[in-house]
Order: sequence, then structure tokens, then C-alpha cells
Amino acid sequence: MLREEPLAPDLLAIAREVLLNDLLPALPAETAFAARMVANAMAIAAREATQDDWEPAMLARMAALAGDPRAFAAAIREGRFDPGTPGHKEAAALLDELTRARCAVSAPKALGKG
Amino acid sequence: MDEARRARLTGWLRAASGDPALAIEGMTLLSGGAIQQNWTLDVSGGRSWVLRTDNAATLAVSHGRAEEFALLRAAFAAGVTVPEPLFLCEDAAVTGAPFFVMRRVTGTAAAHRVVRSETLGGGREACVRALGRELARIHAITPPRADLAFLGTPPADPCRTFVAEQRAALDRQRIPRPVLEWGLRHLERTAPPPVPAVLVHNDFRTGNIMLDERGVTAVLDWEFSVWSDPHADLGWLCAKCWRFGNDAQEAGGIGPRAALYAGYGAVDDARVRWWELAAHVRWASIAVDQAERHISGVERNLELALTGHLVPGLEWEILRMVEARDAA
Repeated sequence: MLREEPLAPDLLAIAREVLLNDLLPALPAETAFAARMVANAMAIAAREATQDDWEPAMLARMAALAGDPRAFAAAIREGRFDPGTPGHKEAAALLDELTRARCAVSAPKALGKG
Repeated sequence: MDEARRARLTGWLRAASGDPALAIEGMTLLSGGAIQQNWTLDVSGGRSWVLRTDNAATLAVSHGRAEEFALLRAAFAAGVTVPEPLFLCEDAAVTGAPFFVMRRVTGTAAAHRVVRSETLGGGREACVRALGRELARIHAITPPRADLAFLGTPPADPCRTFVAEQRAALDRQRIPRPVLEWGLRHLERTAPPPVPAVLVHNDFRTGNIMLDERGVTAVLDWEFSVWSDPHADLGWLCAKCWRFGNDAQEAGGIGPRAALYAGYGAVDDARVRWWELAAHVRWASIAVDQAERHISGVERNLELALTGHLVPGLEWEILRMVEARDAA
């Protein structure tokens, strides 16, 4: 409310449009790859800027299962969440959900195929 | 490369080749890989060579130029289609970093072009059949080999060694990776019995294989080679993360898996599938390392930064593969 609009996601979106529609066609071929990378980085940043803060809820669920991310990773390695263990389903569901949230920013196409 | 370096290089090449009149007629930067630089060398007498040298920052897991040169020589002698290795210079004073020179091979390796082409490599089926034959030749190189002593002692159990090494790599990382642990734990639970280790290229994939319209012209990028399970190479090539969007062609996005297997000879498909999951874990771990080079400031670079954002997609694939394998 107090911040001046347009905010980061909109600025990134419009800047990306200029890059892809106006600048890219005018760039020499050897810099096209770099321009596409810039466009990709802007798209990722824009998605991140619009995402809800999902981390606290995920960390709380992780804490209930095993502790902090390091303890959770160690518990997985030790086999504490292998198929057939009491926590298996819950651990698998948590990994699915946090990876889904990560993909929503970094790799939304992966979810489309999944 | 500046004039002084070029002059030193000319002098060095004259001595190495035994041609006192040798002159460099042209030199251009071919490709900036994340790790290496390749320069074309046009040399008097119509000789077309490539000079391969290190970039500023190098991954600790990759072999240096001297080791890569030895691998190239071993592969060339075994009949693998590689550029003929010519000269090795370990003296960094010549050009600023160790380098080697090999004969230049023509063709294209660009992954996105390769997976879209119906004709490169002699057509999809012929191409992957040929890739199977190349892998069989590589895997005919077996330990012990004095010239490849830098590869260390061959592992008694390549699959379990892989899991242990990947875990050690995760332990060196800044941030824990529960999904990669999930994948590794599954791999540990389902590891197939040991097989004798052979030479594994360890980066045999679309993008590292040069093709023309007739067939394979070169197997490139030997810097990650290890003694391991031969199925590791088949799994790396077939892994979905290396099909460059052309998922229907299971052998590297290029051609059918069955043709690759037929070209190779005897293949244990279940073992290949184990290594396909392993491939996703390993690539995710490499991607984390590459992004860390940017994040830490060792090498500020947009491509490295974006590589980090490949990790979640790889993790998603790992979760789906583990789920499917556990349900089977």
C-alpha cells in the first residue's frame, strides 16, 4: 500500500517483454544466448517475487518429523523414512510438497509433465 | 590470446611437432565450456587442430589436461571415435595454463540441434546404434592400466561406491538436500550386485558427442572418466534429464533405447535404470556445485546461477522415479 507501484513482478515482466520482443531480434547471434538467459533469470525472479512464504509451514512439519533440514536429511540417509516405516508416507508427502513449491519458481514445466 | 602468448605457443608447437617452420595462421575461441576453453588452430601446411585448455576456475572433480590427454590416447588406441591427440604441454608458462592439441574434427554437438535432427549421425536409429558401439569400445578398456593410474584403484562395488561418493559430496555442500538423500537412500536399498569395473566415460551424453550426416565424428569431454560399472554410461545417456526435451527418444533424445542396446551388445536393463536415477542425483549435485561457484563469488556468472535453478526440476524427477520404483 505504501510502496510505489509497479512492484517487482510487474517490472520484471515488462522489462522481460522489451528484452525478448525489442532487443533480442536486434542482437547479434552470439549474444542471443546470453539474452535468453537474462530473460530466464527475470522470469524466475518474477515467480519468486509473487510466491507465498511457504517455508515456515514446511519447516514446522519437518521439525515434527525429524528436526531441521539437516536432521531430516540425516534421518533419510539412516533409513528412518524407508518404505514400511511409520513416517514414510508423511516424509514422502513433505518432500513432494516442498519440491512442488521449489519447482513453481525454478522449473514450472517440470510440474506440468509430472 | 595476446601476441606474446601466441609467439610462445608457436615456438612450443615447432619443438613438439619437429617442424621448425610451423606457423599459426589462425586462432579463434571455439567454445567456452563452464570448465574448459577450446581454440581452433589453423596451422601452416593445411593442418587443422584444436587447443584445449582450462578456464579460470576448474571443478575439483574433473581431471586436468594431462589426464584428459592420457584418456584420449587410450580411447584412440581402443578404436573409440575421438580426435587424435597430438601434443601435451604441462608447462603453464607457455599460454598461462596447461593445454593439449588434438586434430580438429568437424560436426555438430549442440544438443538442441542434435535432438531435433532426423538425419544427423546417419539418422536416429543408426546414430544411437553407433553410440552403443562406441560405448562398448570404451568399456573394453579395463584396469589395471599404468597410463591411467591417476584413475585410482577400481572400486570393488561400483554402485555402492557411487552412493558413498555422492553422500560425501552432499556432506561438503553448504545446504542439506533431503530429496537427493531420498534418491541416494533408494539407490542404496536397491543397489544391484557388484560387477567388475571398466573405463566409464562418465559424461557420455548428447552435447558431448559430435555428429555429422554420416555418423559419429567424435566422443568429447573425457575429464570425468572413472573406473566403474559400464551401465553407468548407458544410464547417463538415457536419463530423462539429458534428453533435451525430446523425451520420446530415450537414448539421449536422439534415438530408441533398443537400438542403443543392440549396438552395445549385452545390456542389463534393470541396472541401466538404476543408473538413470543415479544420473539425476549426480547431475543435481553437480548443478548445486556450479551454482555455489556463483553464489560464493568464486566465479560470478549468469549461466552458473541459472544452473542452480535446474535442481528443483531434477529433484521432482527423482521423487517420481523413486515412487515408481518403490511401487513396482
